[in-house]
Amino acid sequence: MVIIMGIETENSEIENSMRETARSLLKEKKVDVIIGYTNGTVPLSSAPIMITKEEEVEKLIWNNLCYVNLAKYLVPRIPQLIDPEKGDLKVGIVSKGCVGRALIHLSVENQINLENIKMIGIPCNGIINRKRIEKEVGEKEILEVFAFGNDIVVKGKDFEQKFSFEEYINELCKVCKVKSPPVLEELAEICIGECQEISSIGDNFEDLVEFESKTTEEKWDYIKDTLETCTRCYACREACPMCYCNLCFVDQNKPIWFEKTTEISEIIAFHLVRAMHLAGRCVACGACSSVCPMGIDLNLITRKLEKIVKERFNFTSGIDSKKMPPMMDFSMDDAEEFMLEED
Amino acid sequence: MKNEIGKLYIELGEEFNFYAPIKEKGNLIFKRVLNPDDIVLDYLNSKVPPKEILFPKMEVLFEYKTDGKDVTEIIERTDLDEKNIIFGIRPCDAHSFVLLENFFAFGDYQDEIFLKKRANTIVIGIGCNTPKSTCFCTSVEGHPFMKDDMDIFLVDLSEKYLVEGVSEKGKELMKRLKWLTDAKKQDIQKAEELSKQAEESFETKLDLKDIDKKLDPNFEHPIWAEISDICIGCGTCSFLCPTCTCFDVIDENDQYNNKGRRIRIWDTCQFCLYTLHTSGHNPRDSCIERCRNRILHKFCYYPENYNTLGCVGCGRCIQLCPVNNDLRAIIEKFNNIKKEKEEKISA
Repeated sequence: MVIIMGIETENSEIENSMRETARSLLKEKKVDVIIGYTNGTVPLSSAPIMITKEEEVEKLIWNNLCYVNLAKYLVPRIPQLIDPEKGDLKVGIVSKGCVGRALIHLSVENQINLENIKMIGIPCNGIINRKRIEKEVGEKEILEVFAFGNDIVVKGKDFEQKFSFEEYINELCKVCKVKSPPVLEELAEICIGECQEISSIGDNFEDLVEFESKTTEEKWDYIKDTLETCTRCYACREACPMCYCNLCFVDQNKPIWFEKTTEISEIIAFHLVRAMHLAGRCVACGACSSVCPMGIDLNLITRKLEKIVKERFNFTSGIDSKKMPPMMDFSMDDAEEFMLEED
Repeated sequence: MKNEIGKLYIELGEEFNFYAPIKEKGNLIFKRVLNPDDIVLDYLNSKVPPKEILFPKMEVLFEYKTDGKDVTEIIERTDLDEKNIIFGIRPCDAHSFVLLENFFAFGDYQDEIFLKKRANTIVIGIGCNTPKSTCFCTSVEGHPFMKDDMDIFLVDLSEKYLVEGVSEKGKELMKRLKWLTDAKKQDIQKAEELSKQAEESFETKLDLKDIDKKLDPNFEHPIWAEISDICIGCGTCSFLCPTCTCFDVIDENDQYNNKGRRIRIWDTCQFCLYTLHTSGHNPRDSCIERCRNRILHKFCYYPENYNTLGCVGCGRCIQLCPVNNDLRAIIEKFNNIKKEKEEKISA
């Protein structure tokens, strides 16, 4: 007999074991602070939280709205994670697969020292595509959202709508193969809780099939059409764990490389250059799309780059803490196919 | 007149640039209407505030020609005398226009572009029958049925609108709409009921009494670090705020064609370039100072400069913050400091 667990049961199991791990880390003083998620004050949201005491562990939650990539807070380290005397605090970080990937990749890029970090690994069961639900509910206020059985239930004053969980999670989550942090043997100490040992993933790029079937003109039109509403608030950049430059290319003004208006050409220049900077670095967490106030789906472009990097260099970011990413490496055997025109 | 909005557009659409709420890529925004069928009438409020009509995210201030070295000619805007109607605005956003005007007409610095557009704009607003759970206009001296800042005020009576001319401009315009019929007593009564219902339905109530006096002495309070710890430093809260006015000015010089344009774009105190001095020093160097600036500007500096709060209670920053850094919680934290102190003293 197969018993299918409801999403809510799955979530509470993940949550309980995550809290247990967090509690023992604090109790045994293995970490000074834990970054995790807590309930949001508005529906379809969650909030990052930092806790330092055992009794605060109950504030930590897991649900399918924990869309922020918490690795963001480590590079650059926010002041709350640094002790003025001791230096870097030991940080426990609630890690779904893509948070784990981000941490590993950031260590490959020499931005963090994994020895200061404990990943509290959890087997992520998918993040809800909040923008898609918002758009489908339309001009009614959502007051409550919860998972029930295999559905996401959305309630408002005079309505209740059900969305199939499987269908309404992020496209990235549908094809994700790294549900919990990918931790190879040499990092076993770093990861507590649920982690997986994988050295490479048979990537599934099904989510790109539709986009790739378009002609070049259609792709261009799609990109223009998608990005048109961008207000240039840079929420995508700020939520991205890989966007850690002290001064982003778009903010550099000595000299000015790119203009900052909302002229479509300049919006596109920002997003495409940013995407190029993420080639071989994006960990497919989808935070950029989840946080966009205008509901722009930015993942497609970075996903396509992820695929190119996989095909040309056989590299997946954030899996192996020893392997250099293609844009940081040089190989005499490289056929340099990337110089050929890419469709 | 509810099903006669198309008529209103046809009658006025030629003379006025007619702005109304429409849906674009799933977002409700105020945009110039090209087809009356696009107008959305059942909505809570727009995602981007209608301030973008008077103060767009990108606006050409003037264009110029050069001889390759110096500017030889300035080409001023010619569209500023065009007349605008903004239809369907909510009372909070209508009030934001008054606050924007405070800023753009401050002292000797009169922003002609903004002020001309504002003077040429007729605001037709609709009362809020169902305020959102994050709305708090009643906490900032507003009301879901406040009509003071509009030219014409409508109440949505579900099958029709109750129409009231508020300003002289509004009354003049109404005279031209011959197809309006006289309101019945029961319609006026129903509107009053709706207003009361809406007022009673507010879930968010913020204690903003003397908030400036609670914030100002706590400029160095460690609470600011707490408030800003999860902030990622994006511009969502301020770009989508109906009262934020910061802008940056850019010269776009086309040296190959001997011409250029001066443009203003939205800026925000949340960005790292904000108040960055040419020396390299920035008095608001981290997220802590930037978060503090936004709150103090709305609730401390604004009252000091203009004698009114710099917030209209639309709740957009609460709803749209990517990391759910809730303004309500921030205000509460400061209210609690005061309370804690009082408790200490009385103990």
